[in-house]
Amino acid sequence: MKSKINSRSNIFGRSSMQILLIFWGLMQIYPIFWVFTSSLKTRKEIVTNRFSLPSSLHFENFKFSESGFAIVTYFKNSVFVTFLTVMLLIILSYIAGYAIAKLTIKGKNIIIIFLIALLGIPIYSIMVPLYIYISKLGLLNRYIGLILPYIASHSPFTILMLQAYFRQFPDELIEAAKIDGCNDISAFIRVVIPVSMGAVSTVLILNFISIWNEFLLAYLVLKDSASKTLTVGLLEFVGEYSTDWGGLFAGMTIAILPTIIFYLIFHRNIIKGVTAGAVKG
Amino acid sequence: MRKNRFLNNYLGWFFLLPVLLIIIGFLVVPIFESIRNSFFTWDGFSPVKKFVGIGNYIEVFTNSDEFLVALKNTFIFQFGITAGQVTTGLILALIIDSRVRFWRAYRVIFFLPYVLSAFVVVLIWGKVFQHNGLLNDILASLNLESLQRYWLLKTTTSIPAMIFIRIWQFASFPMLFFMAGLQNIDEQIYEAAKIDGATTIQRITRISIPMIKNLIMLMVTMNMIYNFNTFVLVFIMTRGGPSGATEVLGTLIYKFAFGIQRVGYSSVLSVICIIFALVMGLAYYKISGYGKK
Repeated sequence: MKSKINSRSNIFGRSSMQILLIFWGLMQIYPIFWVFTSSLKTRKEIVTNRFSLPSSLHFENFKFSESGFAIVTYFKNSVFVTFLTVMLLIILSYIAGYAIAKLTIKGKNIIIIFLIALLGIPIYSIMVPLYIYISKLGLLNRYIGLILPYIASHSPFTILMLQAYFRQFPDELIEAAKIDGCNDISAFIRVVIPVSMGAVSTVLILNFISIWNEFLLAYLVLKDSASKTLTVGLLEFVGEYSTDWGGLFAGMTIAILPTIIFYLIFHRNIIKGVTAGAVKG
Repeated sequence: MRKNRFLNNYLGWFFLLPVLLIIIGFLVVPIFESIRNSFFTWDGFSPVKKFVGIGNYIEVFTNSDEFLVALKNTFIFQFGITAGQVTTGLILALIIDSRVRFWRAYRVIFFLPYVLSAFVVVLIWGKVFQHNGLLNDILASLNLESLQRYWLLKTTTSIPAMIFIRIWQFASFPMLFFMAGLQNIDEQIYEAAKIDGATTIQRITRISIPMIKNLIMLMVTMNMIYNFNTFVLVFIMTRGGPSGATEVLGTLIYKFAFGIQRVGYSSVLSVICIIFALVMGLAYYKISGYGKK
């Protein structure tokens, strides 16, 4: 380990590199910090004292009394949609990934190629038929009209990651359970599920972030103000004549806080998970 | 025993089918629907669809400046952002790989913007680039008023600004991969190079980069795929404006379908996007090693 440090340490001049990294790091953090601090300023101070710390802490912005921004409704809707989507998505992708890696299926390779082909399809390229479809089914403003497309668009990635994980899952564990009298299903429930929770948490976190933040489909499907999620609700502050910066910053703070807290708690899983599954396991 | 065999043979499909049905219903069918619509003129809601063969395609390719601008911008975004992300990610990874102090903390900090929604990112950076925003303030405080611009109202600055925003948010993505790749390089190779008197630059260009060449290719492909989503950024930030100058294929699809109700024309653009995506998916399949047995 010592030699590792020695032979790489002087690849670049040390202090200049530190300055570069600090600069890039500040650039990554400052905008987020700025949203948080601005949300705690008075409306006047946001305009007059834009980039410094608040002179005293004000929480009025979070009451949204001026804008009537339905923060509680939007937040609840976001939680509901995200929770339900992620649960269904993970359960369905989990069993599918397991099936591809471990069970007898003819044409596994074709399924994998099929999933990879869909990996890159951007939602906006199919938003028109999707929208027409959802409105014909009477699912506009209804969460099921959002959750099903979310599952469809997020599952190829999720299945591919989980099947890559399951390929490395030791068959011996499953065999041992079968010797003890388990069949495929009971071996799956008693052995596979408990052991694989680490991999599940990784895909769960990545999907949570992506679905919590999703904008386009939510924008198309949820027109009704009672059904809007946070990302779409925030649009109310972006009118041409809107000057309610306090409300906007408070809304943004509430919208980004959950993912940031999640990130701070689970950054290890996220950082590991992002690089896993990209290459064949 | 019979029950067991039945389970073993069909359990796989039983597990696979629910999600496959959702994928087919809400991803595959809309893809084919886009392809079908591209051969019709249709306003999106009336019962009458008029078959026009490749009429829409001819119109898009021969008679549309808007399309050419959008196609050009889409390419500028795709290549500009991907090149910027991969280069920035590589430089950051090389610096961090030299085991500077606090490298773990940097890794965590650099990846933070990844968790922000496109919408919030647009709002934040909008405040930086708007004409009375942070950037112009900084220029003023440096007595560089002559450099102040309406950054988001001119294509020459708004496109680079949006490219920068994407690089800002996602350069850490390839960085993570490069860090993992660089860590796998055998220490002895560096030792040997050091003894032979190789300079820092030589060590980077002759050892580090060649050793992670495949990873660089993989990152280019993956980022090309993820950067299809730049559409959302443009859609919220400029809506393709001013006067169509920052239009990309995605904003044009939206405009033609939901704005002026020409679903057929819009679908041709969708088909072009889908073909791009499939080609990139194929490249990813090759490069990632999924294709190898």
